[in-house]
Amino acid sequence: MVLTLPESCSAGEVAALWRDALPSIAKLSNGDALVLDADGVKRCDGSGEALIVELFRRSARQGFAITCRDGARIVERTLSLFKTDAFDKDPGLLSPKRNTHTGEQVGWAAVRIFEDICEQLAFLGEVVVSGCSLAVRPGRLRLRDTMLHFERAGIDALPITLLIGFLLGLILAFLSAASLQQFGVEVYVANLIAIGLFRELGPLITAIILAGRTGSAFAAELGTMKVNEEIDALTTFGLPPVRFLALPRVIAATLVMPILSIFATLSGLLGGLIVLMGMSIPAVTYWQHVIDSSTLTNILLGLFKAGVFGLLVGLVGCSHGLQTDRSADGVGRAATAAVVGSLILITIFDGIFAVLSYLLGI
Amino acid sequence: MTEETVIHVEHVDAGYDAEPILLDVSFGVRRGETFVILGGSGCGKSTLLKHMIGLTPPLAGEIRIEGDRISGGSEEERARALRRFGVTYQSGALFGSMTLLENVCLPLEAFTDLPHDARNLVAEMKLELVGLKPYADYFPADISGGMRKRAAIARALALDPEILFLDEPSAGLDPVTSADLDRLILRLRATQRITFVIVTHELASIFAIADRCIMLDKPSRRIIAEGKPADLREHPPCAAVRAFFNREPDTP
Repeated sequence: MVLTLPESCSAGEVAALWRDALPSIAKLSNGDALVLDADGVKRCDGSGEALIVELFRRSARQGFAITCRDGARIVERTLSLFKTDAFDKDPGLLSPKRNTHTGEQVGWAAVRIFEDICEQLAFLGEVVVSGCSLAVRPGRLRLRDTMLHFERAGIDALPITLLIGFLLGLILAFLSAASLQQFGVEVYVANLIAIGLFRELGPLITAIILAGRTGSAFAAELGTMKVNEEIDALTTFGLPPVRFLALPRVIAATLVMPILSIFATLSGLLGGLIVLMGMSIPAVTYWQHVIDSSTLTNILLGLFKAGVFGLLVGLVGCSHGLQTDRSADGVGRAATAAVVGSLILITIFDGIFAVLSYLLGI
Repeated sequence: MTEETVIHVEHVDAGYDAEPILLDVSFGVRRGETFVILGGSGCGKSTLLKHMIGLTPPLAGEIRIEGDRISGGSEEERARALRRFGVTYQSGALFGSMTLLENVCLPLEAFTDLPHDARNLVAEMKLELVGLKPYADYFPADISGGMRKRAAIARALALDPEILFLDEPSAGLDPVTSADLDRLILRLRATQRITFVIVTHELASIFAIADRCIMLDKPSRRIIAEGKPADLREHPPCAAVRAFFNREPDTP
């Protein structure tokens, strides 16, 4: 069998040869001979060199002989650069260090979850210790950073919080009015919206916004700082990253949440008002019902929940940020984990609050 | 090495946002040579390199690679110019979610019709050229800085470019690893017949690998010297060049 290499042995030509000629060469065995005609080759790039190496590799494996016409000494040069026995593995079988076995993947996932829980607990411990030392010496809090994060998480998030709160109130009013109208008591939509927003939906929707907007930003910021070795620099200065970086963010998120939640709730009440005014219910009547149903307990419970949700978002965001792998991929995964983790914890804690308030009769 | 010029930089003002860092820079890079752009920190070396590889257009002037304009010409012209060179960046810029083999395979997948096996073999051979074949299935985070730089060179070589731009290849490396990298550059130039354009301020590397160099000057914003490094050290054309090669501090 004769294989003639083209004048230009580059990727395009080699791709065709690889597909057309190699299947026939695969049938050669001990006693067969392959004549490799490289006399006409004027240019040979990496793809051509790979083809030559592959032919010699197959010759060694299958036992056929290769005779070269190598006027331009292309084959000789290639074989001087690359030892064919260095590529003894089938390149198709060379696989990256990734686990593709399902059982193994599940096992590793369980290990990762366990490690993640341990890391979160360790982080929580550090935050508590740092928080206690801060309570003893409040002057150690980086107030400027805290105010900066307060502004970013709070004032900058106000437009979207107001918009979503308003739309939530609007939707809630429409949905409940459709049912209550049948009994002629659509005016009680105001009570429903007020209780729902103050107690439950205001803090919840604000927490979801904070998790998506601020929790992910915390994780990405701290993750990038870790990749850039800024956190290592802080550690070597003797400044604990948790106190220096995480606490200002956690405090800002905890304090800003109740305020954002109030804005979301008021905006939602405004949305409800517009719907009910469209149903010929006077604004005075609406507000009267809102004030009647907005008990101090409801308002305080809502604000407390908002604070706890803010604390959770801050903690989860910072924790995932500080535990980021040192790669761009790691930063992305930390941001995603921060949002997902925050949402899960917010839902769990919301459930706990619901059960507790039922048991306590609040 | 031939005298044919493959990169023409003509009357280029380099900089960003209409703020020139370098003025009226002109030089040519010959086929097969190792050409070094050197100068102190902040003199515009990396900015000039970014113009040469088409990442940002120069404020004025023209840069041509084998006759094709890298900026300011047609898209076809730019695409032809881009296919002629490979680039490695200071940090290596390997994709962290891919193994070294996958990193090298990436340009082959995008720009050739080679079957999977052939692509893998080409990538393995490129890794072999830089001495990293045993680490083909490692992720960039699992190898050292020097290895990352060599892997980045293997990736840049994937499509067999005629020209290779290296931005600060020795930055952050110890002298032994840095010398290893210099030897690799010399070996690649000899075996692969590649033209190298290297931005650096490492004197040891400059003397080890450079055929010719230009020196950029921050205060005057111009090229203040051009020639062989040894000649410039022996006969510096001005005080700034002498200070650079003799590692003297700036005179007040």
